[in-house]
Amino acid sequence: MSTTPRTAEDMTTESTTKSTTPETRKPPTAPVFAVEGLWKVFGPKADRIPADPELTALAPAELRTRTGCTAAVRDVSFDVRKGEVFVVMGLSGSGKSTLVRCLTRLIEPTAGTIAIDGEDVRAMDKTRLRELRRHRAAMVFQHFGLLPHRTVLDNVAYGLEIQRVGKAERRERAAKVVAKVGLEGMEHRRPGQLSGGQRQRVGLARALAVDPEVLLFDEPFSALDPLIRRDMQEEVVRLHREEGRTMVFITHDLSEALKLGDRIALMRDGAVVQLGTPEEIVGSPADDYVREFVRDVPREQVLTVRTAMRAASADETGNGPALAPDATVSEAIEAVARSGAPARVMEGGRCLGVVDHERLLGVVAGTEQRKEVA
Amino acid sequence: MATVTASAPQATLPGFLKRPVVRKLVLLALVAAILVPLANARWASGTWPDALTVDVSGPLTDTSTWIIDNRDSHPLFLYFFGHISNAVVLCVRAVYLVLLAAGWAGVTAAASLIAWRVAGRRLAAGTAAAFLACGFLGMWIPTMQTLALMVVAVLASVVVGVLLGLAAGLSDRMDRILRPVLDTMQVLPAFAYLLPVVLVFGIGVPAAVLATVVYAAPPMARLTALGLRGADKEVLEAVESLGTTARQRLLTARIPLARRELLLGLNQTIMMALSMAVIASVIGAGGLGDRVYQALATVDVGAALAAGIPIVLLAVVLDRVTGAAGERLGEEPRPNGRARWLYALIATVAIAVAARLAGRLDWPDAWTLNIAEPVNRAVDWMTNHLYSGVPVVGGTADWAGHFTTWVLDPVRDGLQWLPWWSVLLIVATLAWLIGTWRTALTAVLAMAAIGVLGVWNPSLDTLSQVLAAVAVTLVLGFAIGIAAARSDRVERLLRPVLDVFQTMPQFVYLIPVVALFGVGRAPAVAAAVVYALPAVVRITTQGLRQVDPAALESARSLGATPAQQLRQVQLPLARPALLLAVNQGVVLVLAVVIIGGLVGGGALGYDVVFGLAQGDLATGLVAGAAIVCLGLMLDRVTQPTERRAKKGA
Repeated sequence: MSTTPRTAEDMTTESTTKSTTPETRKPPTAPVFAVEGLWKVFGPKADRIPADPELTALAPAELRTRTGCTAAVRDVSFDVRKGEVFVVMGLSGSGKSTLVRCLTRLIEPTAGTIAIDGEDVRAMDKTRLRELRRHRAAMVFQHFGLLPHRTVLDNVAYGLEIQRVGKAERRERAAKVVAKVGLEGMEHRRPGQLSGGQRQRVGLARALAVDPEVLLFDEPFSALDPLIRRDMQEEVVRLHREEGRTMVFITHDLSEALKLGDRIALMRDGAVVQLGTPEEIVGSPADDYVREFVRDVPREQVLTVRTAMRAASADETGNGPALAPDATVSEAIEAVARSGAPARVMEGGRCLGVVDHERLLGVVAGTEQRKEVA
Repeated sequence: MATVTASAPQATLPGFLKRPVVRKLVLLALVAAILVPLANARWASGTWPDALTVDVSGPLTDTSTWIIDNRDSHPLFLYFFGHISNAVVLCVRAVYLVLLAAGWAGVTAAASLIAWRVAGRRLAAGTAAAFLACGFLGMWIPTMQTLALMVVAVLASVVVGVLLGLAAGLSDRMDRILRPVLDTMQVLPAFAYLLPVVLVFGIGVPAAVLATVVYAAPPMARLTALGLRGADKEVLEAVESLGTTARQRLLTARIPLARRELLLGLNQTIMMALSMAVIASVIGAGGLGDRVYQALATVDVGAALAAGIPIVLLAVVLDRVTGAAGERLGEEPRPNGRARWLYALIATVAIAVAARLAGRLDWPDAWTLNIAEPVNRAVDWMTNHLYSGVPVVGGTADWAGHFTTWVLDPVRDGLQWLPWWSVLLIVATLAWLIGTWRTALTAVLAMAAIGVLGVWNPSLDTLSQVLAAVAVTLVLGFAIGIAAARSDRVERLLRPVLDVFQTMPQFVYLIPVVALFGVGRAPAVAAAVVYALPAVVRITTQGLRQVDPAALESARSLGATPAQQLRQVQLPLARPALLLAVNQGVVLVLAVVIIGGLVGGGALGYDVVFGLAQGDLATGLVAGAAIVCLGLMLDRVTQPTERRAKKGA
C-alpha cells in the first residue's frame, strides 16, 4: 500500500531534480526553496524514525501502533523555482500544512534539509531564522490570524512594526498595500467588522507589506464562500502576474490547485505521490490514487494540444486552423468544430502535429490517456 | 485502586458489576469490611479517638509567643516582614491622606468622572449618587478608610496576580504547580486566611491588607493564565511567522489578546478585595467593616445598616464600572478619547480646589441623615410584634427556634453520634461516586486531619449547619432556577435581583438576618442560604437553558409533556451544571456559615473570632486549619471531575 506512492514519488522527484540540477540542463535561476528528504514525525522519540529503514517502511496506522508516532511529512523532496506558483495539494491530514510550516521552521522538521537560496534553513540560529521570517518568507493563514484589537492598517503594518520600522513610514507603506489588495477606505476598521474575504485580504496585505521573497499560503481560501473564494483566487493570479513573486500555495481544492499552480505536488499520508504540472497530473496520473483524485476534472480545460496531438500526415501540415502548443483542448475543440478539419499545432511557424476530432474526443472521454499508460 | 477496578476481568463479572458505580461500592465495602473492625476494635468511640489526636496547641502557642517576642528584634522581621509592614502602612496612609485632601467633592467628582470615561453617563450618575449616599449616611470617613485599604490591596493583588498569571500562562511547569494551589485557594472561606497573617504581622492594617491580597490575588492569577493560554493559536502562529521575538509576541499579541480575561480578573479581584477588606475588620482593618462588626457585636442593627449600605453601594458601583469596561472592549474607540480624559482630570482638580477654597473638605454634619435610630425603632417593633406569637404563622424567632431544634440539633447530634470511621466512610463513598479515587482520597485525608487536630466535634457542628443550609439552598435554588429557565418573565424579574445579590460582600448578609432572627445558629444558616442562593439559581438556570434545543425539540415532537421534558431531557442533560451548582452552593455556604460565628453561629467560626479576640492564636489557628480541611473536604466530595462531566454531556 505504502510502497506504491513511494516509488511514484521517488520517480517524480528524481525527474524534477534532474531537470533543475546545473549538470543536466542549466535552469534559469537557482531554486528559492530546495527541500530534500524532509521528515516531520510527531510523537515520543520521533528522531529515530526517519533513520530506521524498518520503521519508515511501515504504513501510517502500523507506525502509530508500533511506536506511538505519527509521520506527518514522510521523506519529501522538491524545489520551488523562482517566480513560480508551487501548489501543495492533498486531503486533510495529508501533511501539507505541516510541510509548509516546516519551511520557515514554525514546526521544527525531524530530518532532511531545507535550503532557501542555497542557505541551510535548519542550521540557522534564532536571529537568522527571525530575519528569514521577517524579510524572506511571509505566510497567509487559513483563519487569517489577525490581531482583533488592531485596526486594518495597524494589522497590515504589524510585520513592519516587528522590524522596528518607524510609525510614519510603516503606516505609509501599509496604506499602499491596503490599496493594492482593494481595501481602501477600511483602514480604520477592526477585523471583527470585516467579512471573511476582506479579512483574508488584510492577511494577504500583511504578508505583502514586508515585501517578502516568497509568499506562503496555508489553505488561505478554504474558510471563504465559493464566490469570494473565486475573487480571491483571481486576486492572487493578478498579484502574481503583476509582481512575479514566488508563491507556495497549500490547498485541498483540486480546481484551485489547477487554476493557480505552475507545478503541483500531490500529497497523501505525508508523502508526495506525484509532482508535476497540472497537465501532467491530470494527463498522466502516477497511480490509481491520483487518477481517482483527478477523475472529475474537466480534462479538456487542463490538457493542452501538445499532449493531445498526433504526428501530422503530409497533407495535414499545410491546412487547417493553427493553434499554439499551450492551447487547451477545449480551445482546440472550438477551432476544430468551427472549421470542420483537424487543427495544426504550430510553434515558430513549424507544424508540431495535428489534433483531430478523434484525438480531442479521446481526451474528453479519458480513453486516450489510458491507452498511453497501458 | 483505579487500576484494580480497571483490570478486573469484566467477562467473568455478573452484569450488575459492570456498572462503575456498583464496582466502586463493592470495592469500598470490601475495604471497609477489613478496616472498620480493626479501627473499631482499637479505637471504639463515637467521636474521634483521643489516641489519634495530636495536640498542636502547645507548639503553636510557643510559635506565636516566639514571634511576638522577636517581632522587633529578629532579622527576619526587621529586614523582611518589617519592611513589608511599614510599606503597607505607608501606602494606605498616603492614599487615605490623598482622599482626605481631595475632600468629599473631589473624591465624588473623580469617581464619577472615571465612571463616565470608562462606563458611560448613566453609571457616572450612579457613582456620584452612591458616594453622596455614603456621605449622607454619615459614613464618609469610614468609606474613605475602606477605599484607601482597597486601593492598596487591589493594586498589590493585581501585581501579584498578573505576575503569577504570567508565570502560569507562559510556563507549563508553573501552571502544573500553581493551578491546584489557586483552585484550592478559591474554595477556602475568607476566615481561614486571617489567622496565619495575624500570626506574622499582628492585628492591624498590614495584616488586613495582606490577608486581602492573599484572598483577592488568585482570581487575577487564574484569569491571567487562562487568557494567556486561551489565545487564538493561529494568531500566535501568524505573529510568529512574521519573525517576532518572544518579548514582542508577549507585548503585542498575547497580552492584548487576553484583555477580556484580564479585565474580568480585575473585576473579580476588586469584588473579592472588598469582601475581604470588610471581613478583615476582625483583624484591624477599620473602616466600614469595623463599623458593621462593632454594631453587630452589640446587636445594633441600625448602626450596622448605616455602615452596610455604603458597602453594598460601593460593591455595586465597582462591579458595574469594571464590568462595563470589559463590555466596551470590542467597540470602536471613540474619537478624541485622550482629550476627554484630560477634561475629566481638569474637572476633578477644579472641583477639589474649589471645595478646598470653600473650606468644605469634610462632609458637612448638617447633611448627614441618621438612619440608625429609626431603623432600630423599626427593629424593636419587629422584635415586639414579629418575633413570636404572630397568629397562625408564628414569629421569625419561633421559626429560627424551630429550625434549630428540629433540623440543626438533630443533624448535629446525629453527626456527632456517628462513629468516627463511619463519617470517613461516608465521605469516601460520596467523593468517589461523584469524582475519582483521587478526590475521594483528598477528602478522606482532609476529614481525618480535622480529627487529628482535635476539633472533631466543633467541625461536625459547622458541618451540620453547612448541610442544613445546603439542603435549603438547593431545594430553593433548583426550584427557582427551574422556574426561571421555563419562564422568560421570571428570569427578567430575577436578573437584577441576582446581579445585586451576587456583588454584595458576605459580611453584609449578616445584618438583615440578625434583624429578623436575632443571634444564634439559625441566623447564620439563613445568611448562608441567602448568600449562596443567587449563584445556585444562576447556574441552574443557565444549565437548563443551554440544553441542546434539538434534543428538546425532538422530545416535544414525540409528544412529551412539559414535566416529561424536564425530567427526561433537561435535567439529565443539565447534569454537569447541576453538579457545579451543588459544588458552588457548598463552597459559598461554608464561607458564610464560618462568618456566622460572629452572630452566634458558634463552632469553628467562633473559635477563630475567639482566638483573635483573646489573643489565643493557637485556638484560632487550629480552627483555621480545620476550616481549610473542611473546605477542602466539602469541595472534593462535590467535585465532579471534568472527564465525568464530559461523559454526562
